[in-house]
Amino acid sequence: MAAGPATAVLALRGIRVSGRDRPRLEGVDLSLAPGERVALLGASGAGKSSLIAVANGLLAPAAGTVLWEGQAPARSRRGRRRQQARIGTLWQDLRLIEELTVQQNLNAARLARWGWPRALLNLLLPLDTAACAAALRAMDLDPALLEQPVTALSGGQRQRVAMARLLRQEPTLLLADEPLASLDPRLAGELLALLLAQAEAPRALLLSLHRPDLLDGFDRAVGLKDGRVVFDGPVAQVNRALLADLYDGTPQGPSP
Amino acid sequence: MKPAAPLLMLLPALVLVPLAVLLPPLLHGGGWELIGNFALAAVTPSLDPVVLASLLAGLAVTAGMALLGWAGSLVLGLVLGVASSRTVWRTLTGSGVPAELIRRLLAIPRSIHELIWGLLLLQLVGLQPVVAVLAIALPFGALVARVLSDLLDALPTANLEALRAAGAPAPAALLTALGPALLPGVLSYGGYRLECALRSATLLGVFGLGGLGTDLKLTLQSLEFHELWSGLWLLLAVMLALEAIVSLLRRRWLVPGRFVLARRGVGERSREMLLTLAALVPLCLLVGRGLGVDPAALLSWQPLPGLGEGDWAATWALPWPRLVGGTLLLTALAASLAVGLAPLLLLLVAPLAWARQGLRLLWALGRLWPPPLSALLLLFVLQPGVITAALAMGFHNLGVLGRLLLESAEATDPAAQEALACGGSGPRLALLYGRFSGLARPYLAYGAYRADVILRESVVVGLAGATGLGSQLLESLSSFAWDQLLALVAVYALLTLVGEDLSDRARRQLLAERR
Repeated sequence: MAAGPATAVLALRGIRVSGRDRPRLEGVDLSLAPGERVALLGASGAGKSSLIAVANGLLAPAAGTVLWEGQAPARSRRGRRRQQARIGTLWQDLRLIEELTVQQNLNAARLARWGWPRALLNLLLPLDTAACAAALRAMDLDPALLEQPVTALSGGQRQRVAMARLLRQEPTLLLADEPLASLDPRLAGELLALLLAQAEAPRALLLSLHRPDLLDGFDRAVGLKDGRVVFDGPVAQVNRALLADLYDGTPQGPSP
Repeated sequence: MKPAAPLLMLLPALVLVPLAVLLPPLLHGGGWELIGNFALAAVTPSLDPVVLASLLAGLAVTAGMALLGWAGSLVLGLVLGVASSRTVWRTLTGSGVPAELIRRLLAIPRSIHELIWGLLLLQLVGLQPVVAVLAIALPFGALVARVLSDLLDALPTANLEALRAAGAPAPAALLTALGPALLPGVLSYGGYRLECALRSATLLGVFGLGGLGTDLKLTLQSLEFHELWSGLWLLLAVMLALEAIVSLLRRRWLVPGRFVLARRGVGERSREMLLTLAALVPLCLLVGRGLGVDPAALLSWQPLPGLGEGDWAATWALPWPRLVGGTLLLTALAASLAVGLAPLLLLLVAPLAWARQGLRLLWALGRLWPPPLSALLLLFVLQPGVITAALAMGFHNLGVLGRLLLESAEATDPAAQEALACGGSGPRLALLYGRFSGLARPYLAYGAYRADVILRESVVVGLAGATGLGSQLLESLSSFAWDQLLALVAVYALLTLVGEDLSDRARRQLLAERR
């Protein structure tokens, strides 16, 4: 099946993920069209992280199907890697490689497409400086940072470098698991705007979020509760009653 | 152009390039059949009860010598370690100078390998079980003393000063303030030393000091490969069991591993630790009785043959530059091989979970297989010389380093590696970038320490011929040219001390650059 322009970037059907006493996800359907920006809402423990992990292939569901750009997970190692290369994840703990420079970290996003010679050379020489500088500029960072070790960066700079690395990977599916949880409100707003700006067709964005006040730039919201989808619709339909139901009994606000 | 951390880790493997060029001319053509037979015998070890009984008896002797030598080294090390601690001397007498003096003196027994100790003692008191025990206890004791005094002097002294200021007498204050803090480090290092003692006891056996090592060498020389492998598998079982117990106790007591990447907390269950230590005393007494160790035998020296005027002119005429150069080259080759191959092989097998288990087994064999036996085996197909000896030494140390690397890789945070793999990087590149980045500096720092150990150890492959000081030493020993022997031991000690200093510097620099 060829991936036409209308094919969903991500399609999940009937996803089930087992947990210790109850399923972490149960009967989850979710589809992301190219260019769509979807916010994933839910209390802690609702299954947001599990859903992101299924979406980026880290977690194989116990039941249900996952399609990336219309394709089931490839059986061959090489085919699977090619699929994974098109899925970019912004991790909550960023997962930068602390011992390397900013440029080496950005280029690490190219490893899926590079062979050994370039991968080794990247550890010796600055490679693809122009592309790396462009990725930093897109995140409002000074390209002079390229030579810096990532340990020398401030918290906000690290966040932006992680986002620049995501762009450098050139994924079609952008996933982010609570990327704004530990940021102050102003920075969170700025970074979210940058991320949303990158999610234009053929890309799609799925971002899990704890703060309903940041929903403005999204096209759709999906509400998860106890591992099930309880809401899937335009952001405009998210109202106080829905939020109260989603965060039922749990304190609302940024997760710790 | 400065290589980044993960690349740094692979650089020592470049030694394979000159080796690939130099190795083929060393092949002398014959002997492949023997190597084949040797390899095949691995799966068909001899199960003859007579053979097994004799091997088990040998194994018991080796394990007993290791245990007693180790226990002796702990006692010696504790006493000498406290005696060479600046903090202790300063608290007791107000001056740290005696500590420095004792520390310098201890460098001498430390720099002499247990094999040399063993062979010297053998000449002095004849073949006695106590010889191997002492040969292990003396250099190990000096090593433990150094580590212990380093640990002692690195401890914060605030508690100690507070107790002293409150009027506590110096010895009580020392014990209360520093004792508990010291215990985890000592136990962790002690466990590692026990593993080393088992390897050393096997090695001493190869040189005729009794136990399983002697059987291994005899079976190898008489080409009884099936019996040889029975012995090897038995030894492997004991070694793996010992390593498992040591690492279990480390985890249970939460003491730091040898290759500290993250501090996991301080020691717990002190009472259990002390009880375990106390239980060792009757065990050692029993083992000592069983082996027939008689310390009094040390007092009756045998008349030394031909101990006349030294022929210093002949000693001076030895080809010193070649001997020293050979030893250094051997050390450099073996260290680069061991340090470089461990990460390279781990990368190669990264996509295959089962191959990792294969590597684990290969490395375990490397650890238990004494280098002189590998050298003998290699001589079936290779000409004697530095490279042959370096391969034997390299394989043994690869076993030590490989295990350490694998265990540390499995103990570190997988997040970065996982993220890379999730973005489509292959398993090898994800390992290289995601895990090796963080491991590189502590690993290389440990490699620097290992190079220092290899230098000390290079004497043991002297049998492989023309390997520098080691071969000359064994030769001088067998002709009992005591003047040459004295000079060789002195040069060895000097080299080891310089090497120790260099490796300390390299280690400090590597760890300091780790941000």
